[in-house]
Amino acid sequence: MRYSIFSLVRQAFAGHRGWDEAWRTPEPKKQYDVVIVGGGGHGLATAYYLAKNHGVSNVAVLEKGYIGGGNTGRNTTIVRSNYMLDDNAHFYEWSLKLWHQLSTDLNYNTMFSPRGVLNLAHTEGQRDQYFRRGNRMLLNGIDAEWMTREDIARFIPHLDCSDNPRFPILGGLMQRRGGTARHDAVAWGYARAASALGVDIIQNCEVQGFAREGNRVVAVETSRGRIGAGKVGIAVAGNSGRVAGMVGLKLPIETHVLQAFVSEPLKPMLDTVVTYGAGHFYMSQSDKGELVMGGDLDFYPSYAQKGNIPILEEAVAAGLQMFPILSRVRMMRHWGGVMDMTLDGSPIIAKTPIDNFYLNGGWCYGGFKATPASGWVFAHTIAHDAPHELNRAHTLERFETGHVIDDKGAGPVAQWH
Amino acid sequence: MTLASRYDILVIGAGPAGLAAAAESVAMGLRVALVDEQGAPGGQIYRAITTTPVQQRDVLGADYWYGEKLVAAFERSGAGYSPRTTVWAVTREADEFQIGLSCDGGAQLIRARQVILATGAQERPFPIPGWTLPGVMTAGAAQILLKSAGLVPGGTTVLAGSGPLLYLIAAQFTAAGARVECLLDTTPAGRWRDVLRHAPDFVASPYAAKGWSMLRAAQRMMRIVKGVEQISAIGAGKLDGVRFTTGGHTQDIPADLLLLHQGVVPGINLSNAIGCAHHWDAAQACFTPTVDDWGATSIPGITIAGDAAGIAGARSAEARGTLAALHAASALGHLRTAQRDAQAVAPRRELERWNRGRKFVDALYLPAPEFRIPTGDTIVCRCEEVTARQVTETVALGCTGPNQMKSFLRCGMGPCQGRLCGLTITELIAKERGVSPAETGYYRLRFPVKPITLGELAALPQTDSSVDAVVRIKR
Repeated sequence: MRYSIFSLVRQAFAGHRGWDEAWRTPEPKKQYDVVIVGGGGHGLATAYYLAKNHGVSNVAVLEKGYIGGGNTGRNTTIVRSNYMLDDNAHFYEWSLKLWHQLSTDLNYNTMFSPRGVLNLAHTEGQRDQYFRRGNRMLLNGIDAEWMTREDIARFIPHLDCSDNPRFPILGGLMQRRGGTARHDAVAWGYARAASALGVDIIQNCEVQGFAREGNRVVAVETSRGRIGAGKVGIAVAGNSGRVAGMVGLKLPIETHVLQAFVSEPLKPMLDTVVTYGAGHFYMSQSDKGELVMGGDLDFYPSYAQKGNIPILEEAVAAGLQMFPILSRVRMMRHWGGVMDMTLDGSPIIAKTPIDNFYLNGGWCYGGFKATPASGWVFAHTIAHDAPHELNRAHTLERFETGHVIDDKGAGPVAQWH
Repeated sequence: MTLASRYDILVIGAGPAGLAAAAESVAMGLRVALVDEQGAPGGQIYRAITTTPVQQRDVLGADYWYGEKLVAAFERSGAGYSPRTTVWAVTREADEFQIGLSCDGGAQLIRARQVILATGAQERPFPIPGWTLPGVMTAGAAQILLKSAGLVPGGTTVLAGSGPLLYLIAAQFTAAGARVECLLDTTPAGRWRDVLRHAPDFVASPYAAKGWSMLRAAQRMMRIVKGVEQISAIGAGKLDGVRFTTGGHTQDIPADLLLLHQGVVPGINLSNAIGCAHHWDAAQACFTPTVDDWGATSIPGITIAGDAAGIAGARSAEARGTLAALHAASALGHLRTAQRDAQAVAPRRELERWNRGRKFVDALYLPAPEFRIPTGDTIVCRCEEVTARQVTETVALGCTGPNQMKSFLRCGMGPCQGRLCGLTITELIAKERGVSPAETGYYRLRFPVKPITLGELAALPQTDSSVDAVVRIKR
């Protein structure tokens, strides 16, 4: 059933009893052309684009829990494409373009809100670096705008733009087309659209191993039995190392926890996404009114989906530097997601040394915004057994050959990115 | 008082279990602190025992004043004590625990090698139509006002629910001069037939005589309606009356205040957030931390004493507090196993005495499913205003458990952190899916277990290890 104002009105008169299920719940078949492991945004998007763009609809998405229950449901929902290096810039810009039409394309309201993403600069060196990044964005056809301190003070009245903070704000790099989206709706929207095209979404189905013949994977061993596969793609960021390990691959990825937290709901006070430049902190306000906040990574590798107190303290202290007005707001909830950290801070969407086994991972903490393009290029890579031009550089081999995509210039240590 | 930065044992909660645990630990020569949310020791059952304005002893009864002895022993012990203090986090740091506290608007972190949770019970959610109206509160909340401030309800008061505490509160109110119009007893008619086999044990217990006299007294003092099958609070904007059904006959009575109570369940938010294993207790229809007979949890160093580890009442909690202290001391190497076991003989005997008759009480007063599992437009999650119908419809969509339900309906994501809806949501989902509550599971809780201001968090003191934790490039 198509969602529209007409179907809504019709259902309203019928007591909302006639809505179809959003996606089917089939029993797994014996064999699929493609099996995608991971029912988060990336896996579901990949299945959707396999069916839509490449006509491959004999596809299963296997999810160990429920769809969108991993990092898709644990992020801070920020969408942006303010990258400097060409390989990332083009990839994320394509993602942002997809975001802008996603609700229409999926016929599902993902609540994408292009409310802008503002990176604050607090030193002259940082300002110069933002100029450089902004100019490169403009050269790549991505919107970027420098805001002065006065512009920012008008734009975000509650932000402390005075000379009083330890690191006064000098200005900021703004990307107006960036913003936020409803994370769960992204998983649900892709699931519904993929299911309508014939993709089987199989929840509560944990992958326990892979059966190989020579250099090929022939089946996936799951908690619901053996499922034959022509090709296998994994999109299990946070657990990429574990799942790839089942097929004997060792990845240049470390898993770390990234924490996020929300306050009690407030009246509307912040209609953009703002990041602190003199520490690691970012914040937006949800439609519900809660302030959604995040900070830096926990620096030790861990699979625990909960974080530590010092990072929380550091992040909140930075937040109060920006918004002293919030000191008496109560923090309500706190959670952690596990991040695939690569050695250059950029993702891997690539073929692997195993012939029909494809890897989508290493998203560090930028995976949510990449969802549409990630699915788009991963579907292409699987369907054609060759990368799309947008992920040609995001290979696994780059860490051997040295062709890294180090956007932050942070060096070859996972936790620095 | 100001707390030191390190203790051997930190006890959380100053009810009977916590007071006994702290006093016992100090007596063994350990460095101990007790932190508690309230302004004065006593917990819920002995709440405000040192400060209550209700000085006429027969109002709150001899069982209440028994607590004086316990508080006096605690105060004599010299244990560190920090009232008005909320614990919002307990995390492991090497071989110790780091505990996040919030006291009088300031947060701090302290460390302890052993933590004893004596966080007590909370009232079981009682989701009936209209339970969110002004004028409806829990009987326990009304009792808090009586104990701590000597307040009794004016106007027409109706009590509803089941369990011994309901009758105790009725008796206390009457003794304090308040008038209770009516008590609607929701204990299912005929339940006594199911519990007869536990009766001999109960008759031999210390509770029998007391329970009997309480029931008799209540019957003399107020109208009691037995076998109530349905209750709703009615009114526009505030409570006007109570509608109830008994024997197939429905009637309305006017009321200014409706006090609801259907027993208590362990408060598990902290133990859940710490990561202790829990299980579904079918007899009490609630999740309970899995502990051994010392109160030790699945996490070494975390021990639970008192009702937080399963409802058994104040005197049992006191004995379990002592046992938890003995266990913690022995885990610290301060007490040899043989010494521990020898010292445990007396509290174990007490425990056995006060646990007698529990099965009878549990079985008799287990609320009927219709009072635990609401239907229709009855609100389940008060914070996010989620109704029972929304939950059942979402289960029909394929949602299998409480954590997935959060992403659909946001239930359990408000300021109460699921305290007032967790059990209802679990049982509702379990019933709709036709599976057990144990399989359905409970919310995964994270710190802060109680909301804490950003200002407090930001002002946490810096230590070497906290600086290390946030500095990217190591020395």
